[in-house]
Amino acid sequence: MTEIIALSIVCLAALIHASFQLSISTLTLMSGHSIGNGRSHMRLVTLLGGFVAGATTMTILLVCALGLLLSYLIVGEQVPQVLWAAGCGLLFGVGIAVWLFYYRRGKGTMLWLPRQTAEFLAERSKKTKNTGEAFALGLASVFGELLFIIAPLMVAVLSIVTLTPDMQLLGIVLYVAISMISLLAVAALVSGGHKLSDIQRWREANKNFLQFAAGTALFVLGFYLYVNEVLVTPVSTIGSML
Amino acid sequence: MSGKVIDIVKSGGKRPTETFDRVKLHHSIKAACLSERSHDGAADSTAEKVCDAVIAWLEERPEVTSHDIRRIASRHLTRHNPGAAYIYEHHRFTI
Repeated sequence: MTEIIALSIVCLAALIHASFQLSISTLTLMSGHSIGNGRSHMRLVTLLGGFVAGATTMTILLVCALGLLLSYLIVGEQVPQVLWAAGCGLLFGVGIAVWLFYYRRGKGTMLWLPRQTAEFLAERSKKTKNTGEAFALGLASVFGELLFIIAPLMVAVLSIVTLTPDMQLLGIVLYVAISMISLLAVAALVSGGHKLSDIQRWREANKNFLQFAAGTALFVLGFYLYVNEVLVTPVSTIGSML
Repeated sequence: MSGKVIDIVKSGGKRPTETFDRVKLHHSIKAACLSERSHDGAADSTAEKVCDAVIAWLEERPEVTSHDIRRIASRHLTRHNPGAAYIYEHHRFTI
């Protein structure tokens, strides 16, 4: 796998990560409570900043921790096929789960998450008053969606670990920056004075499209990696032996 | 409302029944209006009107569910501030 292909996979995986909605839902709820309680605009902006910083930090920690764990399983410069096969399996499995379950049926943008996790985040978003709490909420919101983000995260990390150190750093920066785009966009809209109802209405109107796009992208990425890293590699190895 | 006590049955039946509290309703409607960037005075005025309408609806009912209150309040709030009504009705369905 060349560097440009590895970084392209990282970018696509990060885009899939960005399409997941738990952090955005939590940010929207926190903003609604903050504005509804009459807090100043400056306080709202610092809360949004704290939340985004928390989500970014958790994403960096997850990428680095998973990279460290997987590096113990990698011998030499090649990622074992079994890891690629596991990554593809996760992509297909999560892709089907996203297609079928990501949003709960009915109105709103309720996610298919354990209700206790969702209620905890909703309750914490109501009680968040300072930047530290917003930071912790950002951390928790990314961790709460680990069930879905683990698939793109794993293949991104598998693509990053075999790169040179400077390229690894670039890969991590690219993944984190792209995966935070949607959150940053919503934070910018809220701090720019847009109405929460408009943002939430847009999310609700487009939830089926977002769900379909995320599931399809997971499948496309899984198929590409399966063909190129699981099927093609042994064939080319056999070909070179002959 | 002439000092009449109205019981509110909470959603899901897990929490105990509580007495209708105008201040609580006013606060939640005002918060929804403020989150739609309404000015404080306008939010207060809208919340007053919606509370009056809900209390008028409650006159003939000794016991209602919290869902009923939310539905009726949302219906009246839509006339004054559709965006706030959307937030008021949907905030439980965000996550």
